[in-house]
Amino acid sequence: MAVGLVGTPVRRLEDHRLLTGKACYVADIVLPHMLHMAVVRSTRAHAEIMDIRTAAALAAPGVRLILTGEDVRDLGPLPCIDLFPDSKPALHRVLALDKVRYVGEPVAVVIADDVYAAEDAAELVEIYYRDLPVVLDLEEAASDAPPALLYPEFGTNVANICRQEVGDPDAAFAGAAHVFEETFRIHRYAAAPMETRGVVADPTAQGGRITLHTSTQFPHLVRAFLGGVLGIPESEIRVVAPDVGGGFGAKCEFYPEEVVSVVAARRLGRPVRWIEGRQEHFVATTHAREQVHAMRAAVDADGVVTAVTLKSLTSNGAAMFTLATTPASISSAMLRGPYRIPNYRAESLSVLTSKTPLAVYRGAGHPQAVLCMELMMDRIARDLGIDRIDLRRRNMLTKQELPSDRGTAIVLAGKVVYDSGDYPGCLDRVLELAGWDDRLRRQAEARAQGRIVGLGVACFVEETAIGPYETGHVRVDGSGKVTVLTGASPHGQGTATAIAQLVAEELQIPFTDVTVRHGDTDVVADGVGTFASRGGAIAGAAARLAAHKVREKAVLIASELLEAAAVDIEWVDGRAAIVGVPGRSVTLAEIARRATAWNSLPTGLSSFNLDEVAHHQVPGISFANAAHVAEVEIDRDTGTVRVLDYAVVHDSGRIINPMIVEGQVHGGIAQGLGGLLMEEIAYDAAGRPLVSGFQDYFLPTSAEMPEIRTGFMESPTPLNPYGMKGAGEGGTTGAVGAIAGAVADALVPLGVRVAGDGPFTPPAVMALLAAARKGAGA
Amino acid sequence: MSRDTREITVTVNGAPKRLTVPVRLLLSDLLRDVLGLTGTHVGCGQGPCGSCTVLADGGTVRSCLMLAVQADGMEIETIEGVAAGDGALHRIQEAFREHHALQCGFCTPGIVMATVGLLRRSPHPSADERAELMEGHLCRCTGYRNIDAALAALAGEG
Ligand code: FES
Ligand code: FES
Repeated sequence: MAVGLVGTPVRRLEDHRLLTGKACYVADIVLPHMLHMAVVRSTRAHAEIMDIRTAAALAAPGVRLILTGEDVRDLGPLPCIDLFPDSKPALHRVLALDKVRYVGEPVAVVIADDVYAAEDAAELVEIYYRDLPVVLDLEEAASDAPPALLYPEFGTNVANICRQEVGDPDAAFAGAAHVFEETFRIHRYAAAPMETRGVVADPTAQGGRITLHTSTQFPHLVRAFLGGVLGIPESEIRVVAPDVGGGFGAKCEFYPEEVVSVVAARRLGRPVRWIEGRQEHFVATTHAREQVHAMRAAVDADGVVTAVTLKSLTSNGAAMFTLATTPASISSAMLRGPYRIPNYRAESLSVLTSKTPLAVYRGAGHPQAVLCMELMMDRIARDLGIDRIDLRRRNMLTKQELPSDRGTAIVLAGKVVYDSGDYPGCLDRVLELAGWDDRLRRQAEARAQGRIVGLGVACFVEETAIGPYETGHVRVDGSGKVTVLTGASPHGQGTATAIAQLVAEELQIPFTDVTVRHGDTDVVADGVGTFASRGGAIAGAAARLAAHKVREKAVLIASELLEAAAVDIEWVDGRAAIVGVPGRSVTLAEIARRATAWNSLPTGLSSFNLDEVAHHQVPGISFANAAHVAEVEIDRDTGTVRVLDYAVVHDSGRIINPMIVEGQVHGGIAQGLGGLLMEEIAYDAAGRPLVSGFQDYFLPTSAEMPEIRTGFMESPTPLNPYGMKGAGEGGTTGAVGAIAGAVADALVPLGVRVAGDGPFTPPAVMALLAAARKGAGA
Repeated sequence: MSRDTREITVTVNGAPKRLTVPVRLLLSDLLRDVLGLTGTHVGCGQGPCGSCTVLADGGTVRSCLMLAVQADGMEIETIEGVAAGDGALHRIQEAFREHHALQCGFCTPGIVMATVGLLRRSPHPSADERAELMEGHLCRCTGYRNIDAALAALAGEG
């Protein structure tokens, strides 16, 4: 029954609650005597705070407390955990002090009896500013003479430099038959989960402990960060991630509201709730992606890319948030993707600008890297007259070349050593799935009819399942039912189902006998969280290892109950049975009851309870890979880009639940598509963002999504005891490369060269078409 | 909140209620904060996302755009009223589960409610009718293909 459960598309344990309205997101939490917080945010992109007047707001009905930067002056800044030793620690304060550096920066908070009163009073807080010059353009910000220094004490807006050096790129360029250069511009957009952020800070627990309910991807890290900022031990803090309505990296950051709500709640002795508004979300939650990549490629006469150099800039916004250098680090470490390119140099700058802080979003730096590499590959192929698939094959690492030490490193995660995979095989499979040759033929016909159609292909390798470790705790009680406590903190990925599959298979019990709990630091003592495509693979491995230990212990207990040597006992269908003696067996429930505290210690055991903990320490990064093919058509009259068809072959090692993995791939593709074709956070010259909500930040709807054909390969990784890699982000990473490639391909006959990621909105595409017409006429 | 209040009568999931509500209270806040029906979610509070969709006299409405006082005399249906009393899923919910049409579940109640409304009006909705329904709902997790598959199955095309 439970054997063979792993690898099957069982339906999710999570769904019943979510479908019946019984889920509990942070905004659903109501506590006795709860108050409500509104945040007063900077309306200026860069200014000195001359004065803050709160008297009128304090006098408004229902207002209990107002806090400004002065009130939390003594609290440390929010940590950035991926700073390099020589980084400039441009850290975000809990509330602005003396200066504001972006529109949306929290300046004050108002706590009142209800949210309407808090928001009304927030309008009455008067802040007097003296404007300072803003710095929005990435190249200007990084230059020696920037229009403004966000932190004059550092003398530069460059907060961090990440370098990679492999082989001898100078020699390769000196001997190159061809050199290609391109500067790729990648725009700013955002994760925009459907649930905004929110907190409920409750100071009323026994002994004055703080409970912080927060919509986060990593409650245990929030506990540590909060303890650090407040200067209190972690044991005084309980952090709960309730049901979380999507995160995609934006909730893998530690935010000022998670601190200031606690400060206010402790002052008032009452719970304080804050739920981010959607407009607020677009200035208060981290943005993503914005980079400029100046890339050069050295190519020999046969189309072999011998070297690449990269100078990249990341617009980190006004402060280094929790994972601020990661986008630059990943995009530079992973730029070469599946291609050999033996010589490589990168210098990637994390640059401060007068914008909302920018950090990780699904794929972190991978989508940017794949976009640049694959557009470059297409350009080399075109200019040298080599078929683009053939060019990729010539440069691609083969299965026999793995493992391959790439000579680069990713901050926090470690050395880049590709572990397993069949990159050319994956490309072959996706071309077959897409019907590539047929599509090429039809593209030629469509072009002959004057249609603007393009095909894009993207191959990539992606860091997944990073460490350092994850925890799993498996407990069988006297009912025979199994509870798993996991350090992962899923928010839509179905990780509870995946873990239940692994544990049920190990113990050979019905999958529905397993309950998985997560997200509450008082229930799960230790954990790391859900990000970087690590939940299923890492937490799953930890849980299964713990289940394996439980099974071993159960056999020892059974040997006493059955009066048989442990070696004569086999585990079948969730029972311990004596080999060759039918009918002589004990159930998991009987075994668990024998080990309880009201019995004597079972013979040969050193501890009570059928209860085991495992840590899965990750020995290294495991690298997933995939190949994506997209077909697009551009409407000449409206500039609308439609993705007509999509095929993907994805390899993330052993698959626990193919239905869930496919769902991750679909969702990822939608986000990649949105980022390329629809989504953008632009700023005006004064540094004001031009986005106020979903009415002007367009997410893809069902209508924009193509049919998606998905194929899987399973190259197990030796770095995980069960061969599993991560699957959460690849859809996005591949879609960015494939759709950008398709748009670029569509525009080639019109003489438009695409060097960036758009976004290819109808007006932007119309502008490209108009420029092409003008160029042709000139 | 402003002290200005009105008395209203609404039927929520079949239960009649007489309530005194502030005039500026939103229907979504009435459902969530006053009646504790937190299955109706607010993803934007601005109208575009559809996560707050409920049925009012059988028609779909955005509860974040409607005042509680406007619901006076109406029959409101929310996600909490969809499954059977014993917890057995409604066939719409079952189809969503079967087709993996939800991930984080935040957008889901709104889409399910809109589907309840659609299937009542049109038991075998055409592809166009289904597409029209989905124009009004954002989901950031699923990429929609599985939602569309669930809707197709419900229309008898699965
Ligand atoms: S919450 Fe009502 S439409 Fe988004
Ligand atoms: S399932 Fe998460 S927003 Fe739709």
